[in-house]
Amino acid sequence: MGKIKMMIVDDSVFSRTVLADTFRRQGYEVVGEASGLNQLVETYDCCKPDVVTMDIAMPGADGFACSQALLAHDPAAKIIMISSIKDPASEAEALRIGIAGYVQKPVEEEALKRVVEYTLSPDAPFEKLLQLSAEAFKESLAQNVTRLTKKTIAFSSQDAQDPPFTSQGITVVIGIIGNYSGSMIMDLSEATAAKMTEAILHHPAKDHEEILSMSGEFANLVAGIACSMLNKLDKSFRLRVSPPSVVYGAPTEVVSPKLQAHSINANSDYGRIYVSVGFKKGSLLWT
Amino acid sequence: MDITWGTPVFTAIATVLPQIGFNSIEQTSIAAGNNIYINAGVSVNVSVIGSIKGSILISSTLDGAMQFASKMMMGMPVTELDGMAQSALSEMGNMVCAYACTVFSEHGMPGLDVSPPTILIGEGATIMVPAPQTLTASFTVDAIPLRVCVGLT
Repeated sequence: MGKIKMMIVDDSVFSRTVLADTFRRQGYEVVGEASGLNQLVETYDCCKPDVVTMDIAMPGADGFACSQALLAHDPAAKIIMISSIKDPASEAEALRIGIAGYVQKPVEEEALKRVVEYTLSPDAPFEKLLQLSAEAFKESLAQNVTRLTKKTIAFSSQDAQDPPFTSQGITVVIGIIGNYSGSMIMDLSEATAAKMTEAILHHPAKDHEEILSMSGEFANLVAGIACSMLNKLDKSFRLRVSPPSVVYGAPTEVVSPKLQAHSINANSDYGRIYVSVGFKKGSLLWT
Repeated sequence: MDITWGTPVFTAIATVLPQIGFNSIEQTSIAAGNNIYINAGVSVNVSVIGSIKGSILISSTLDGAMQFASKMMMGMPVTELDGMAQSALSEMGNMVCAYACTVFSEHGMPGLDVSPPTILIGEGATIMVPAPQTLTASFTVDAIPLRVCVGLT
């Protein structure tokens, strides 16, 4: 495969030069430049770039109007917005138009490279998240059990059940939101939760509510720390977790129809802890 | 919980359901409550994150949920809550809650986001909603009972 071909649209000669130098250092070929709507489509047709970078604030037609013109000409055009402006309204407008990626100036070179690569392989970041999340949630679960109860856990892959599943007694549901959204479901029996609560508090739980509260807080810790790990590995994930909903008291089947999920089965001194983590495929390439 | 936070969600029910094939949406009651919600059979749980956080539950009996899914699938018979029926309910939960976020934004609370729905199937299960207070409205939707619990903080 040859070099990735880039075209830069920016009214500032300085910005075009800086970006072109950056792209060349990264091994890309800069095949065309335009200062705005004038000659935009002609330059695009002539140089046939793989990716177009687009400034927003330009005299006359701004980056949004230029992008709309280019996408009307070639709906397959892959455009990355590169601008110092990056607020929710601009991001929403970029999404609406069909911009593939968004990078804020001043450009962080690694982030720019990642967005260019993801733009050309849009499934790559999702596959990466699925792969990384399996290990991150396992690690977070193991860390939190050890930190809080001073015991270790063992993972079992053979008897891991695929979702949907029926609750063992207490199920905690935590929503995950970010550039990919999903959920984490943690399930454990009442007896396991009671033993864990006793280990954490160093005395038996005073009532059932304390056991439920521990289950929710524990799941929240596992999800929060796992998402922090994932965000450190790839800042573009931007994952955040919701507060936990706790389900108990009757057999409950739990289903997440829109997610690609994987299961983690952990055996501890307190009993079995089941975790299902899933994410929904998206196409956002923002940084 | 600010009781006005229920309005965008109930507005979303009244707006979105007619767009997916329902004709009659009647709100029959509304009540404030604590964080305990008893599952009537099937609950679609959607988490909300942003300047306010919590969850929204849209629920019905198992029969009601099957009728609901059948209606969404152009009257196709639904005799069990299989993958397709679950997917229909999930899509409904997603559409209603996403629309509610838009209404929240129009009322000066932008930036709310929702998780993909999780479906909880189990009559009589207790759901501890992550908010100290909730607002629950009952609806009759084309003769199907529907309850919507909003727990945000």
